[in-house]
Amino acid sequence: LDSKNTIREFIKSNFLFGSNDTKFSDDDSFFETGIIDSTGMLELVSFVENEFGIEVADMDLIPENLDSVNKLAGFIDRKKVASAS
Amino acid sequence: MEFSKDVLAIDAEKVAGQIADFIRDRVKHYFRRKGIVIGLSGGIDSAVSAALSVRALGRERVHSLLLPERESNPVSREYGLLCAKALGITCEEVDITPVLESYGVYAKRDAVVKKYFPDIGTDYKFRISLPQDLLERDRLNMYRLEVLRTDGTVLTARLSHDDFLEIMATSDIKQRTRMTRLYYEAERRFYVVCGTTNLPEALQGFVVKYGDGGVDMEPLQNLYKNQVYQLARHLGVPKEIIARTPSPDTYSYVASDQEIYFCLPYDTVDLILYAMDHQVPKEKVAATLGLTMEQLERAWRDMAHKMEATEHFRAMPPSPLIGV
Repeated sequence: LDSKNTIREFIKSNFLFGSNDTKFSDDDSFFETGIIDSTGMLELVSFVENEFGIEVADMDLIPENLDSVNKLAGFIDRKKVASAS
Repeated sequence: MEFSKDVLAIDAEKVAGQIADFIRDRVKHYFRRKGIVIGLSGGIDSAVSAALSVRALGRERVHSLLLPERESNPVSREYGLLCAKALGITCEEVDITPVLESYGVYAKRDAVVKKYFPDIGTDYKFRISLPQDLLERDRLNMYRLEVLRTDGTVLTARLSHDDFLEIMATSDIKQRTRMTRLYYEAERRFYVVCGTTNLPEALQGFVVKYGDGGVDMEPLQNLYKNQVYQLARHLGVPKEIIARTPSPDTYSYVASDQEIYFCLPYDTVDLILYAMDHQVPKEKVAATLGLTMEQLERAWRDMAHKMEATEHFRAMPPSPLIGV
């Protein structure tokens, strides 16, 4: 699975109880669609750190990095590149 | 009325009379009880609620409780007693520490703190707080653990999801324990429990469900914080209580309402909530508050999220419609 699929699967299984009832695109805001609230975001950050082996710093905790599948996947890619260089 | 910082000005005598009439009517005719039990926190909201209760029913029908636990700020007790004495109402102090210990609250909380700071020992103070730069940048409300050591240094760590939930559970149970004690006292006296929640607390969800939100009536719930201050001055609430920085006094390391939840001063929260309710154009709100549009949008968005996320706090427990 690529990172986008991994993120989608986690969101689906963890926040949507595995259901396909709630549709969301890779660009949809987790907050605006109500899929994830701030407490859920803590859970998402823990998942990302454990699953992708990256460290999310306090300054990284911004919507631009975390608030959609595409934004999160891009953030993970940037983190991986930064840690590899 | 034109939107300005004065839009929340009230005729304090008139409003105090209206609320006192409301309290008297509800206690006598709706609840059909004999008086009011109220928990005094040493803060302005409980002081104003108590003063209005006395105005409504007379001091002999208002009974107050101080419900400290071992991590409470001593000032809460001092100001709670001051309030009761100023109003001439009976005041009973019940230390809820043994109840909380019986739940293992402190031990469970300590276990979380020690995961992050294994060498912290036992002599420390702690709190959780949100980053206070809401107006300055787009960021998420992610709580941090802050530990104050005896040498004055502060250690911080970002809480994991599970640890955040554990901390919240060990904190909110304090309010819920107080609620059960207030109801015990109310029931044996055939009184009602009076709440102390104001409008921004209610609409933003800065209340513990079935904790401080577990009451029979809320005399202040339609008043902005600014209006609570106006009433406090009018009712002669002791100046020390009026000057005290609002705090839930839940954590041993003192934290204000702003640090723990709102991330904005009450004056700003009040006016944005008013603007939301009265469809005031955002440009006008920003200009009145001295904020850029970008800053206002951040505050507005954060407050709208809090309101939406805590909607169930303000509703009856949902139940399904059953077709017969």
